[in-house]
Amino acid sequence: MRRVVVLVSIAVSVALLAYATSVAGALGYLGLETRALARMLLALAYNPGLRELTAMSPEAVTAIVWDFRGVDTLYETVVFYMAIIAALAIYRGAPKVGGGGGIGLSLIAKVVTKLLIPMNIAVAVSIAVHGHLTPGGGFQAGAALAVVSVLLAVVFSASSFSKVGVDVSKAVALRSAGLVAIAVVVFTPLIYSSVTGAQAYLMQSYVKVDSGFAFPVEVFGQLISGTLIWLNVAEFLAVSFGFFIIFMLLSLREDVVRSALVGEEHGSQHS
Amino acid sequence: MDVTLVLLALFSTVGLVFTYLAISERDLVRAIIYSAVQSSAYAVLLYLLRAPDIVLVYLPVAVGLYPAALLFLVGKTEKVDGG
Repeated sequence: MRRVVVLVSIAVSVALLAYATSVAGALGYLGLETRALARMLLALAYNPGLRELTAMSPEAVTAIVWDFRGVDTLYETVVFYMAIIAALAIYRGAPKVGGGGGIGLSLIAKVVTKLLIPMNIAVAVSIAVHGHLTPGGGFQAGAALAVVSVLLAVVFSASSFSKVGVDVSKAVALRSAGLVAIAVVVFTPLIYSSVTGAQAYLMQSYVKVDSGFAFPVEVFGQLISGTLIWLNVAEFLAVSFGFFIIFMLLSLREDVVRSALVGEEHGSQHS
Repeated sequence: MDVTLVLLALFSTVGLVFTYLAISERDLVRAIIYSAVQSSAYAVLLYLLRAPDIVLVYLPVAVGLYPAALLFLVGKTEKVDGG
């Protein structure tokens, strides 16, 4: 019975989606030519000829995410920040109790993981600092580095975090450093404007029609695309150590931390 | 015939089969593994649809972080779905 219900619901969903996206035209007109909006964004992503409009990034997705609709990404970062705060609030006091324990997986798994972790870190950093040139960016790099926290928790057990010198307070500090760096990048035009009296806009990356303010586009001949590399690296820190916090807290042993989690309520009942 | 379309059809079918397995499986640990296989098929689909930015975030999240978070969650509750 259960299998029939699952099969029928999957078949109905697939049929509905197939109908909506093909015959009913729910995706709008699907021609082979590029749409006007996409053509505009592709033309503006990297265009030294249109200095007032371009984001100076050959990676159109990063140009859109951190420049054309940068405020949207800023608030996505805030949402993620709130989720981490909620996790920290629920687990308050638990990291101090400990609850690591465990011995992890076999020696073979540990050795293989030890070889994989440096590669994982290298790939994550590369995705972050090349985010304005090739596919990738801050969130992608942060998610890639967060896999290291899962590997540490699962393969080496929760106690391995302290062995490699990462604890919850350090991860919170690094995540906050990332968030502060994003704020610094966002507010730099404001500081520039209040010091020089010239027009500048929050989150401004490059010159605008009525504003000469611009972050450096090249450093030593290397394209860094104004704010984009700084925002990517800052987001990388904020996201990766945000995930580190989550997995450090989740990997604590329930039976050990439970007393710390429910302790306050019990205490208030007796007092 | 276009190879991309054939691969798209193949990997969407794999994704569909593992979606069914993930939903109908009562052992939650197995269901999570089926779900991760389904996500891997979707990652290939996104790559074939030329969305490398999404692939880069989808792979670590769908194959690493999301199954890990669910496994920790199952570890705190019961291994078999009682429903």
